[in-house]
Parts: sequence; structure tokens; C-alpha cells
Amino acid sequence: MALIEAHGLTKAFRRPDKAAGLPGALKQLVRPRFTEVNAVEGVDLSIEAGEAVAYVGPNGAGKSTTVKLLTGIVRPTTGEVRVGGLVPHRDRIANARQIGVLFGQRTQLWWDLPVRESLALLRDMYRIPAGRYQARLAMLDDTLDLGAIMNVVARKLSLGQRMRADLACALIHNPRVLYLDEPTIGLDIAVKDRVRALLKGLRDDGTTLMLTTHDLGDIEDTCDRIVIIDHGRIVFDGGLAEVKDRYARERSVHLQLGAVVSVDELTGCFPAAAVTVGDVDRSYTITFDKSHLTAGQILTTVLPLADIIEVRIDEPTIEDVIRRVYAGDLVLQADGDAG
Amino acid sequence: MTINAYTRIAANAARTTLAHRVGFVLGTFGATFQLVAMVALWTALLKRGAYLGGFSLDQMKAYLIVGYITGVLGTALGEQVMSDRIRSGDVAIDLVRPLDYQGMRFAEVLGGMCVEIILVVIVGTTFWMVAGPVSAPAQPALFAISLVAVLPIKFLIFYMSTLLCFWTQNYHGVAWARSALSLILSGALVPLALLPHWLQTLSNLLPFASITSTPALIFAGRADPGHSQELILVQSAWVAILWFAGRLAWRGAVRQLTVHGG
Repeated sequence: MALIEAHGLTKAFRRPDKAAGLPGALKQLVRPRFTEVNAVEGVDLSIEAGEAVAYVGPNGAGKSTTVKLLTGIVRPTTGEVRVGGLVPHRDRIANARQIGVLFGQRTQLWWDLPVRESLALLRDMYRIPAGRYQARLAMLDDTLDLGAIMNVVARKLSLGQRMRADLACALIHNPRVLYLDEPTIGLDIAVKDRVRALLKGLRDDGTTLMLTTHDLGDIEDTCDRIVIIDHGRIVFDGGLAEVKDRYARERSVHLQLGAVVSVDELTGCFPAAAVTVGDVDRSYTITFDKSHLTAGQILTTVLPLADIIEVRIDEPTIEDVIRRVYAGDLVLQADGDAG
Repeated sequence: MTINAYTRIAANAARTTLAHRVGFVLGTFGATFQLVAMVALWTALLKRGAYLGGFSLDQMKAYLIVGYITGVLGTALGEQVMSDRIRSGDVAIDLVRPLDYQGMRFAEVLGGMCVEIILVVIVGTTFWMVAGPVSAPAQPALFAISLVAVLPIKFLIFYMSTLLCFWTQNYHGVAWARSALSLILSGALVPLALLPHWLQTLSNLLPFASITSTPALIFAGRADPGHSQELILVQSAWVAILWFAGRLAWRGAVRQLTVHGG
């Protein structure tokens, strides 16, 4: 059995159905009406120990609800979930011992006390022996630079410092499963890089990671597997490299030429590519599939027609692929072609 | 040094209360003003050795000071913090802790109380010096026990009314209703003996009287040793009943939990 197993996980919420204005509010008071909304619907997940899974989807897709179901914070309406053999919402306390959780938009620090006190409480909660605690702190200090913030009261921390402290809180007891919900939200690039390096280290150490994020830069180096959720349903579950290989084949070469060349002429040279005129004079964009054409071929073909003044090549990122999925332009399939 | 996690929570809560000392002291100032006003009122009512509901002025002063103490205890932290966390969804973080929820909240409230006790002692001593000496409790041991029993009862009533936030998503209405009931039925406003019969009956059926009336009557010597022991037994029964009712209420409440937005 996998470390995390979910079958047909569904969570329904009741949302009040209010008509507009005061009459609507009064009506709701007398005879309340609700709509059942499925935040998560029929989710099947199986995550092996040591896997690093990116869990992505647009706003309101059901990412956070899934994490709350897996951590035992909310109980499923229907369906089953097991983490390390435990049912999280039933064995909440036992499950809490084996997991670490970070909600990027919330803090688990004691707001009016120095960071040190919040960590000391976690040490007592998880009954971490003194030696192990010190070693773990030293390890986290290396990547998160805790020393500078240990004695600072939490409410005086900057957002980046707060997130570093919260990450330390989620990791201090060396959990076997780590759920990170938006771990880099609002962080500057320097801190983001540090957090990403830390995640990579954890993955290499064998921690099972589930990473929920809007910033796909977080997952590129960390995760091997990507699960995409939309409208509460899983729309894709497969390898990250595979997605890039299969769906991120498009390249664009932007050229600025020394002389005017007609679009028709360029299109004639590259029948398999799309040619568009750029904003600047004598600039063109040629978009092609990297398996049919190379940037080198384009340059050698264009050179006899005109001098090339500037060249820029765009490679799609995983972000572009996901954007197309969100927009409904692309349907990913774990084994098969794009639909 | 590793200590019990609940003890550490209480210690952190005490430090948090100290960090908010300005608001906390101002709040206590309000309660102290109320105490002074009530003493002035009863001094006017009970002048020249008059009795009301069996209370002499001296006994009434003792009753009021105990009412003040039990009114202040447990208000610095707890209720407001807990309901805010439920409404904002931060309760999600409390739920991934490897600790019992009710136990964590109780530890927090007890931690706040440690700081409140300091303040109560200061105000009490000042009162003693200004309002004239109040006779020491006739049964100090029984009084101490009844005062200690107030802490869990008060906490559990707070706790359960706050759990209603899981359904109502609103805290103020619940808090108003509870404090109105508590003010009358605990005997904090006037001793229960002065209430009409039907209100006395109602207060006998509810736990509020255990908060103020019981320790105040014992301190003021308005309950003989036998009656005091009976009252303490009632208090203990309420602690047990409310503790288990709290567990049941929590089990129901957590099913209601919906945390939206992150």
C-alpha cells in the first residue's frame, strides 16, 4: 500500500443561496436556501513514500481542501483516505505526529513571542530529544538562516522571515510526510531560491512531499510528478518531465532583420511553422515544433534573405503548459497525445 | 529543557497576556470601577446595620470582592482568541497539532489566569485597605477549593459557547447571550437569594451559580460547613459533566468545520 492513499475523496460544502439586496437577506433568514458545492470530487491519489508531488490547479480548484482532507483537518463527505495506515480525521493526533504542514497564508508562530518559543513548544509537543532538536535546528539554520530571527518577536518579522520561521516549524520534528501549501507566496527571489533549495534537499533525504503552489518555478527542480486539479477533479496525474517533453515542444524565434521580407516569403520557407509580424519594424516571430524544425535551420534559411540584427528564442516553461490547461486549450493525458 | 507541552502552552499564554498588558490592565480597570460602584451602592443600601436577603454590609463586601475575582479570572485570553481562530480558519493549524484541542485551550486559559491572579491580588489588597477590612473567610480551605473549581467551570462554559461559532460563524451574539445569562444566574449582579423564586430555580439547574455564588457565599460565611461541602460537590459534578459535554460538543463542531481560502 502506498504511503498516502485516497479513493473517491469528495468534500461537499453548503453555500447559502442569497438573492440580492435586503429582501434577499430577509428571505434567507426566513427560509434559508443552500447549494451543495463539491470542493473536491472523486479524487483518487496514491503517493509512495519518498515521492515529491506537485499539486497544482487554478484558484478555487480544490487544492487546499484536498490538503485539509489529507491532514485530517476536515472530514470527507464520501470517500476514503489513509496516510501511513491511519485515517487522518479519525486518528487526528496520531496522524499529526507523522506529518508536517505549512499553510503559506497562515502562521503557526506565537504572534507576541520570539520565534524561539514557538519552536520550543513544538519540541515539547513532538517530544524531540535535546540532541536531535539541536542537530535539526543547526541543519535548518544552514538553509533558513534562523539565527538572525530566533529572538525576534513573530509580529515584527518581515514576510520572508516569517515564512522561514514557519518552514522551520513545519520541519523541526523531521516528519515523514510534508504538506506545503503555497510555501513561497509573497517571497522575494532570494528567499524563494533558498526555500526551493531546502525542498530539494528534503526530497533527496527521502521525505514524502506534497507541494501545492501557484508558482510553478517551485516545482520544476523539486517534483517528479505533477497532479493537476480543476473544478475539484483531477485532470492529470503523471511525470513532470513527460509533460514537458510532450506538451512543451513549441519554440518561438524572434528575429529583427536588416531589410523588409514579406510574411508570405517567410511562410513559404517554413511551411510547418507559423510566422507573424512583430511590433517593431522588420521584426518577425516564427513559432514551430522542435521535433520538426530547429532554430539553427531557421537562421540558415533566413540569412540569405536579409541580415539578422537580433535573435531571441523562447522556450516554453511548464507554466505555459499549465496555463493552456487552465484556459481549457489543452487536455493532458498520462499516456497518449494531446486532445 | 523539554517540559510537558500543555505546560509550555500555558507558559506561552502567560507571556502573551503580559505582552498585551495595556489592554488587559484597562479591561481590569473597568471591572474594578464596577466593584467600587457596587460597594458604594450596597453601602448606601445597608447603612446602619441593615440586612438584605440575610446579608450584612460586611458580608456583602466579601461577596462583592469574590464576585470581582471570579469575574476577572479567565477573561484575558481564551474566548476571544479561540473564536477569532475559528472564524479566520487558523483553527486549521490547531488541528494539525499532536495534542488534544480541549486540553490546549484549557492550558491557554490557565496560563492567562496566572497573570490575572497577580492583578487580582493587587486590586484585592488595595480594596482591602480602602474599603475597610473584610473579615477573612470562615472556612479558608473550602473557599480555596471552591475558587479553584471556578477555573475549569468558567473555561468550559466559554469553551462550549465558543464552539457554537462553528455553526454560527458569529461570536458576538453568542458571547452577549452567554454573559447576560451568566451575569444574572451566577449571582454576579446580586446574590441569588435576592432573585425571584423562578430565577433561583433556573440558576439551580445551570452551572453559572458555581462560578460566583458558591465561592462568594463560602467566603462571606453565608454557607455553613455542611452546605459549603454540598456546594463544592455540585461544582465538582459540573466540572465532570461540562468536561465530557465539551468533548461531545467538539466532536460535533469539528464535523461542521469548513475552512475556505487557503
